[in-house]
Amino acid sequence: MDRNNLIKWLKEPKKMGNKYSLWAVYFSTACGVIEVPPVLTSRWDAERFGIIPVATPRQANLFLITGYVTTKTLKAIIRTYEQMAEPKYTIGFGSCPINGGMYWDSYNTIKHLDKYIPVDGWIAGCMPRPEAIFIGVTKLWGMIDKGLATGYIRYRENYDYYRGNQEKLFGSMEWPPLYTLKEGTNDG
Amino acid sequence: MDKLVGLLKGIFKDTDGESLGKNRLRVTAPRGSVLAVLDYLKASGFYQLKSISCVDWMDENEFELVYHVASMESPLHLMVKTRIARDNATFPTAIPIFKNAGIFEREIHELFGVEFEGNPDLAPLFLENWKEIPPFRKDFNMREYVKETYDSIPSFEEYQWQKEN
Repeated sequence: MDRNNLIKWLKEPKKMGNKYSLWAVYFSTACGVIEVPPVLTSRWDAERFGIIPVATPRQANLFLITGYVTTKTLKAIIRTYEQMAEPKYTIGFGSCPINGGMYWDSYNTIKHLDKYIPVDGWIAGCMPRPEAIFIGVTKLWGMIDKGLATGYIRYRENYDYYRGNQEKLFGSMEWPPLYTLKEGTNDG
Repeated sequence: MDKLVGLLKGIFKDTDGESLGKNRLRVTAPRGSVLAVLDYLKASGFYQLKSISCVDWMDENEFELVYHVASMESPLHLMVKTRIARDNATFPTAIPIFKNAGIFEREIHELFGVEFEGNPDLAPLFLENWKEIPPFRKDFNMREYVKETYDSIPSFEEYQWQKEN
């Protein structure tokens, strides 16, 4: 532990705890996941940064979207994201979740992930190096410190928008809304 | 190779074979005799169905089905090709001959719209909530679809701006 952070630990233990125990849900969407095993294992050793892969979304609070997202994967992503306990942070990894990347005119790939679930940070590149994950995570630390990583609050407060977009894509959803929908929205 | 082509030509009418370089053979058969050709090839040692693919020849108003068969014992790779009509395309299933044909046929049914008679499971495989014509047909306008489905949704910032004003 860094001794300079001692004051911070005493002032805001909850925030610091969140920061240094980002447990990542072990969910791989696409090719980007090829960069994740070296990150987690001894070469780059993500545990130095407090990142451990966990098996269930209930235990996790970091969601790495690695690579392109097809509509079918998006369904699983939304299910996983909604099961995660708050506070939860999402990082889009690679250029495909940002704007479609090389799948910009594909019939079955999501172009902008942040239209369906909130994303706290992006790591651009195709593919980004494993070091980029650490840069992203340290940036996320800064955001948590300043109170800017508020994706989950955005999701809760603008659930109409996100659920509306999801319903537009999937037709009818197989599970009930996570939060109560406000009036004036489409009910699927 | 030439021997096999000669045999096939002798047994099945209108069947033609052409060598495509070393160890690759293309067999063209009319619609009616494809399954019989496959059956014959399986009996003569080509017991492995590697894939079934489909080509959309829109100008000729035809689909081309390609059955890739091979065997572990010989280096020969065979393509059995046939043309079927494009409108309301139907074709008998190859499951009785090759059991693994089911999944390939399911994929072709989803992406090209070819109805395989006798296949018990033609449920959608990749697509989710699909309402357009099958996406691999050449008359499917992908750009238009992407614009409608994905690009027409306002981004979160636009949504917030609209809400406030």
